[in-house]
Amino acid sequence: MSLINGTTAINQDPDSKPKPITSWELRTEFSHHDPTVARINNGSFGCCPATIMAAQQRYQLLYLRQPDYFYFHTLKPSILRTRRLIQTLINADNVDEVSIVDNATTAAAIVLQHTTWSFFSSLFQAGDAVLILHYAYGAVKKSVQAYISRAGGHVIEVHLPFPVKSSSEIVCEFQKALQMGKANGRKIRLAIIDHITSMPSVIIPVKELVRMCRDEGVDRIFVDGAHAIGNVEIDVKDIGADFYTSNLHKWMFCPPAVAFLYCKMCDELSDLHHPVVSHEYGNGLAIESSWTGTRDYSPQLVLPEVMEFVSRFDGGIEGIMRRNHETVVEMAQMLVEAWGTELGAPPEMCSSMAMVGMPACLGITSSSDALKLRKHLRECFNVEVPIYYRASVEGEVDPTTGYARISHQVYNVVEDYYRLRDAVNKLVKDGVTCALFYK
Amino acid sequence: MDPPAGPEDPRAASNGDNSHVPKKPKLSFITDSQILEEFAHHQPGIARINNGSFGSCPASIIAAQKSWQLRFLRQPDDFFFNHLQRQIIHSRSIIKDLINADHVDEVSIVDNATTAAAIVLQHVGWAFAEGRFQKGDAVVMLHCAFQAVKKSIEAYVTRAGGSVIVVHLPFPVNSNEEIIAEFRKGLARGRANGKKVRLAIIDHITSMPCVVIPARELVKICREEGVERVFVDAAHAIGNVHIDVKEIGADFYVSNLHKWFFCPPSVAFLYCRKSPLSHDLHHPVVSHEYGNGLAIESAWIGTRDYSSQLVIPEVFEFTNRFEGGLEGIRKRNHDKVVEMGQMLAKAWGTNLGSPPEMCPSMAMVGLPSRLGILSDDDALNLRSHLRDHFGVEVPIYYQMPRDGHIGATDGDGCVTGYARISHQVYNTLDDYVRLRDAITQLVHDGVTCKMLQRE
Repeated sequence: MSLINGTTAINQDPDSKPKPITSWELRTEFSHHDPTVARINNGSFGCCPATIMAAQQRYQLLYLRQPDYFYFHTLKPSILRTRRLIQTLINADNVDEVSIVDNATTAAAIVLQHTTWSFFSSLFQAGDAVLILHYAYGAVKKSVQAYISRAGGHVIEVHLPFPVKSSSEIVCEFQKALQMGKANGRKIRLAIIDHITSMPSVIIPVKELVRMCRDEGVDRIFVDGAHAIGNVEIDVKDIGADFYTSNLHKWMFCPPAVAFLYCKMCDELSDLHHPVVSHEYGNGLAIESSWTGTRDYSPQLVLPEVMEFVSRFDGGIEGIMRRNHETVVEMAQMLVEAWGTELGAPPEMCSSMAMVGMPACLGITSSSDALKLRKHLRECFNVEVPIYYRASVEGEVDPTTGYARISHQVYNVVEDYYRLRDAVNKLVKDGVTCALFYK
Repeated sequence: MDPPAGPEDPRAASNGDNSHVPKKPKLSFITDSQILEEFAHHQPGIARINNGSFGSCPASIIAAQKSWQLRFLRQPDDFFFNHLQRQIIHSRSIIKDLINADHVDEVSIVDNATTAAAIVLQHVGWAFAEGRFQKGDAVVMLHCAFQAVKKSIEAYVTRAGGSVIVVHLPFPVNSNEEIIAEFRKGLARGRANGKKVRLAIIDHITSMPCVVIPARELVKICREEGVERVFVDAAHAIGNVHIDVKEIGADFYVSNLHKWFFCPPSVAFLYCRKSPLSHDLHHPVVSHEYGNGLAIESAWIGTRDYSSQLVIPEVFEFTNRFEGGLEGIRKRNHDKVVEMGQMLAKAWGTNLGSPPEMCPSMAMVGLPSRLGILSDDDALNLRSHLRDHFGVEVPIYYQMPRDGHIGATDGDGCVTGYARISHQVYNTLDDYVRLRDAITQLVHDGVTCKMLQRE
């Protein structure tokens, strides 16, 4: 997998094992992170090791050096190489099923715009439904509004329980919602299911939900796995959806930003298009996506270097995922014990992120409160962690209305979580409530 | 070996105070050797006469960009919540002043002109779907419109039931009047059966063949002929010709900043004149900001590297290191490219494709007919041959002979191929001498495009 025109060839010697990464090297890889910040939010923006940043910069300079040559000779084969790697990682049948796009938000626009055309061409009728989770990512909900509601589609939001005790709770609620959605003979044209919801963050039993959708005659299924790759196992054939997207810059160490969109090969879905139309229009989504006008495509080209990077860890990416999961659960349990609260979901439903109940006395009564608390933690304690506001339900006694979504990635250390623990303890001790943040 | 990125890299200042960017000289302008340094990362040994395709980015801007990239990577949440939007607004207001827009709300920043075209055309697609436009209503485009724009029209207009009127402009061309006359004729012809023209897409500088179009006059003709909206595709314009969006008078105007305005790849602005339908334009990649206006929507389309949009202030400062600033650069580029174009045409016994006043910082120079450029493939093969065997990078245009038009001739036959030469601050006389000699050599050796055809 060596690169042409002056860049470093990747070590292909089959006899040389990747050099295990030492803890000093690991610290160096992330030494560009602000050292004063307890960075427990890998989930939002991910991270990128110095080695990968350097690889990216090499590509950027290669392009700037002689862009015409790069365009004619280097770009396409390099993108194809990334696509093949992803095909292997996610167990897709054919590399044509794998397109590279900027992020999951773009992938959603592609799938949803395709659905819009189905409404325009009367393949779908006004009132036909698209089903999404209530916890779907905000941008996806807006995209549904922009492309589905506007085109006359009906939107069904499935409410899932949180806190949640088991996958079967999710399966049960989803089944009920599917039934209700189909009432009066309504046709469900597309179901959008998160693999790992963003806020609150839990692993959704997508395989079961996809199967249920098929059983109930849902036309197309789109799994939004924005957080998934590098976080949980992905087998797109096993999951069985028509579309699957995941960001590579969140948990797969790529620079911002790059994602893949998997589209199962079939005739009905052959006319997916990238919304930014360029001269490759009509040559298939993967080819269209590989050229959307002059851009910096370097984030899409460094996956080979990333694979080499993760191979330096014990167990490769699987080892990283496993250790992240185990450690985040351990840290979460440490926090709930310290604060006298509870996890939002059982360990088996936590990925490399966990929802940790915050002390009720902090008085988190709105999304605005949650945001202000997050800002306060950032500014006064240098702790970066997103806070989720959960509306209490009628009849709840002493409800937990706030959850911290803690992440664990290879650069995190136990002190990060102690600092969160101590910060919250201090706020509680000082009688701080969210109401105070509005003064 | 490229210097590794890392904390020891002195350019990787992570607090963004830009102390590594050379300070503006008090009385003296940038020197020739400083210019050489700024573009030292360009591949040596290549006569790079194609700034028009992919542009160029000076080393100090690359460094500034890296600084922004590191700021995000260092603490992305803080950057997202406290800095990104503010910086994008700052960039937008610089552009607003550069193009003489009334209000910063009218200026959105997007990846490139291709994206801007998708925004405008998707809006047209919705109008057809929602019944505001009727099937058969037309969109006007130039025959030489950029291929990506043509495809976008196919994807969003034709597909939605709209029709397309194609206006042919003459090339080679002798004056603005020829363009204006042809456009007027073409538009009237297209509207002959009472077709409603909903949108006209006019290039400010056509890509291939490259000519400065009298955009203001064409916009006026559109208004006179009842065209509802006009979109000027000025992908090449900023840093290449003077831009005054109010004077041009179009509804939408886009230009790439990475071509002639020294920005890293890639960044463009889309100007949308304030009007009742401003709120109805949307970025196709829908995110949280949907419904808050195109400029705000475009400022967040999911996690991305927005650094190329943030260095516009630094770029503006960079251009001011040159005498006359951006205007000075533009004028000298134009004068030089005309001079070089005339030198080449004389050496080859051919012609320029347009008079000097219709050349921006690029010129179309006729290639000797003996090369036998008879198709687009021939042009591409010749371009590859020049790159691979002579280290000369220049795009070649094939001018298909039109019925009843002879076009230009040289001593040996019809001139059907043109080299689109560019001049940017890093170019030297030697670049064009090498092109001159390469072509002269090919002709001397009796090489024709037929011989260059790949198997």
